[in-house]
Amino acid sequence: MTHEFYLWMSYGVSAVVVAVEIVGLAMRRRSALRGVEEERDLEAQD
Amino acid sequence: MNWFYFSSPSTFYRFAGRLAPWFFALAALLTAAGLYMGLVVAPTDAQQGEVYRVIFIHVPAAWMSMFLYFVMACYAGLSLTFNTRLSAMMARAIAPTGAMFTFMALWTGAFWGRPTWGTYWAWDARMVSELVLFFLYVGFIALANAFEDPRRGDRAASLLALIGVVNLPIIYFSVQWWNTLHQGSSVKFTGSTMHIAMLQGMLLMAFASWMYAIGATLTRVRSVILERERRTRWVREL
Repeated sequence: MTHEFYLWMSYGVSAVVVAVEIVGLAMRRRSALRGVEEERDLEAQD
Repeated sequence: MNWFYFSSPSTFYRFAGRLAPWFFALAALLTAAGLYMGLVVAPTDAQQGEVYRVIFIHVPAAWMSMFLYFVMACYAGLSLTFNTRLSAMMARAIAPTGAMFTFMALWTGAFWGRPTWGTYWAWDARMVSELVLFFLYVGFIALANAFEDPRRGDRAASLLALIGVVNLPIIYFSVQWWNTLHQGSSVKFTGSTMHIAMLQGMLLMAFASWMYAIGATLTRVRSVILERERRTRWVREL
C-alpha cells in the first residue's frame, strides 16, 4: 500500500464523519421544530 | 456581567443561535489554513515520509476527544450538584461531537499505525484507554436516552460521565506509565520537538476542531432545548 492510501483513508473518512454529523444536526433541528409545530397545533385544537 | 442570565434555556437558545454560525465560519477558515500549512507548506518527515501528515487530523482529534469529555463531565457535575437544566442539556449536546472526535482519533491512528508500526491495532495502553473513552461517550448517550423521564436520564448519564473522568489521566499519562507502542508527546507545555511548519499546521487544525466543536455543540443544544421546552410558552411563541 502506498502512503496515499493511508492519507486518503484518514482524511476522507474524517471528512465523511464530519459531514454525517452536520447532516445529523440539521435533521435533529428539523425534527425539534416539527415537535414545536405539533405542540402549537395541539394547543390550537384545545 | 450576570452569568446566571445565560443559564436560562430561553436566553441561551437565542444566544447560541447568534454565536454558532460565527464558530462554524471560524472553523472553516482555520481548517483551510491548517490544511494548507499541513499538506502544502510542512516538509516531508525524514523518517516517516508523507504518511506522517495524518498527524494534522489525528492529534487535534485526540486532544478534542479528551477536552470535550472533561467539559462534558463539568456540565454533568454542575447538573448533579445544582440541578440546573441547561447544564444537563449542554452535557447531552457535547457527547455526540466528543464521540465523533474519539472515533476520528482511533480511525486515523489505525491508518497511521499500519505503515509506521506494521499494524492497525495493538492492545496498547494509549489505544485501549482511548477506546474506553469512545465507549464512555456511547454509554453516556445511551444512558441519557434510556429513560422516559429525561431528568432521570440526565442524572444517570451525569454519574457515568463523572466516573469516566478517571480515564482522562490514564489516556494522557499512559505513554509514561507503561511501555507502549504509541510515541510520547511531541508537544508539551515546555516546548515542542516538531518542525515549526508542522507545529503551526497542527495547532491551526486544533483550533479549527475547537471552533467546530463549539459550533456543533451550540447548534445541537438549541435542538435539545426545543425538544425539552416545546410545551413552554416562550417556545410556542418563537
